Amino acid sequence: LRAETKNLRTVAAPLAGAILLLGLAFAALPRLTPLRAPETPFDHTPPELMAQGFALLSRAGEVIPNGASVVARGEPPDPTADTYLHHVAVALLPRRHVLPAAVWGVAAPELAREAEYLVVLGKPPFPPPGDLLLRTRAGTVWRRRA
Amino acid sequence: VAEEGVRAGHLFLASFLLLPVAGAPLLSHPTYRRFPGACRIVLSGAAGAVLVSATMTGLALAGLRWSLPGILLPALALGWLLRRLLAGAETPGDGPPSPPAPAAVRAAWVFSFLAVAAAFLGTSAGAATSNDLVFFWGPKAAQFAQARTLDARFLGDPLLNYMHPYYPPLVTNLWAFGAMAAGRFPWGAVTATFPLFLAALALGLPGVLRTALPRSRAHAISCLAVSALASIGLTGFVAGNAEMPLFLFETLGMALLLSPFSSESAGRLLAGLLLAGAASAKVEGLPVVLSAVFLFAILERRRARPAGKALAFLLAPTVVVLGLWFAYGASRRLFFGYQGTGRLFDVHWNRAGQILAGIPRTLLDANYALPYLVPFLVFLLMPRGGRRWMVPVGVLPVLVLFFVFVYLHVPDPTLFIQWSAARVFAPAAILFALAAAVRGATGEAP
Repeated sequence: LRAETKNLRTVAAPLAGAILLLGLAFAALPRLTPLRAPETPFDHTPPELMAQGFALLSRAGEVIPNGASVVARGEPPDPTADTYLHHVAVALLPRRHVLPAAVWGVAAPELAREAEYLVVLGKPPFPPPGDLLLRTRAGTVWRRRA
Repeated sequence: VAEEGVRAGHLFLASFLLLPVAGAPLLSHPTYRRFPGACRIVLSGAAGAVLVSATMTGLALAGLRWSLPGILLPALALGWLLRRLLAGAETPGDGPPSPPAPAAVRAAWVFSFLAVAAAFLGTSAGAATSNDLVFFWGPKAAQFAQARTLDARFLGDPLLNYMHPYYPPLVTNLWAFGAMAAGRFPWGAVTATFPLFLAALALGLPGVLRTALPRSRAHAISCLAVSALASIGLTGFVAGNAEMPLFLFETLGMALLLSPFSSESAGRLLAGLLLAGAASAKVEGLPVVLSAVFLFAILERRRARPAGKALAFLLAPTVVVLGLWFAYGASRRLFFGYQGTGRLFDVHWNRAGQILAGIPRTLLDANYALPYLVPFLVFLLMPRGGRRWMVPVGVLPVLVLFFVFVYLHVPDPTLFIQWSAARVFAPAAILFALAAAVRGATGEAP
């Protein structure tokens, strides 16, 4: 009897634990809308900046030519958020020279000014920094005038 | 454009089917027939991944550009050479008998399937993606795929220093391999590596544990580990980063180390390859591998005889894959070792209390700490006896000390802990599950 109890414990305990953890895993899922693919891989992932930045910068590549210099920032500017936005821009705008608007949470306006193209997350900046090339729900893309 | 993206995603994921092919020359050795078919394919894929990654690093070190055949052929040759090490020394392994599955085994399969399904649903909804995918794993892999090599200019760009140029190469190599097959870097498909590698673990782990445990217990423990990793992945956001590959290599490598097969050269070689996968997936893989092998050699002296040969088989793959990586870094004057977040002994001791309080708080906030506590409780419920469980449990303090030491280097580690603790302490769940597997076990599969 003792051997049978031991065998039961060695199997039942991990299975019971697995059921509890499965409940936790399913509870972590967002409410899913059937047949609707997410717009970005970050739609339900914090921080919100990631989904918006990913959506905007994925589209920005359509209007920014290879080899061009570009800077991505938020409106209003926020050095911490702008640091992360630079990282996203580097990932999604390959073959462009992506300059940072902020480095490690410190604004870098002297670097940002050199860029030919400007990607702005949030509302359009005022006054307009150049010619508007693209407007999406997440933000705008501009070409600076020489 | 959307169709092209979907096709690229399918090709990226399909490229991973080449990994079991790369591992086949080694895993087709008769001694590995002790593992069931699905498990053997997963082990072949894991070993193949290490061989492919090592080949890619070696080619880059030699200044040779990558191509899919140019990577696969040397990887196959490498696997064949490793197989030669086993020639004549091993007896063919017979697989364990497979009578009809008892109810507990069937239940474990269902629960494992549900865990993988949860990971898949969360990932495909964009609810499990790691920010680190876009911050460094992804851009590095995309650039390497485009450059057809490890791009030294990219890694040396001071504005891109946040990408941690010294991070070990396995994950960026594998993602680059897939991107080369796909013709572009498909961000969405890369996140699917989380459920894909979790599914591989669910298929592979029971077969490895089965060599040491009764069938029902092997499947129940495997199901526990897979469920814990699914919940950690969804609450700690690991899709697309190096976490899931690390978990796969650590779990399979440790499980092999704890099995009776680790007393044979073939078992040690395979365990060594998988542990090399862990060491070259993430920085923290190395302390886990070193402490696990050290504890194995000390606590399992009888099975680790002759010690020199056992250590050579277990550690040589790690030495080679990391040796190639550091040789590449040094030859391009990029890095000369792991750099961390500052100088080695530039430690902020005044943050110790904040760190020791912050870690449990973060685990509680992320998932009530259940994925770590539940395997621990299961471990406590297992029958007492034996000391093989001390190997995985002994690794845990090394892992904790390593991360506390890392956090101590950051002037204010609050955010760092909040972002990372839930996932970097995930190996604790694996270690407790494996300790529960071998606690009180005789080491023989009835």
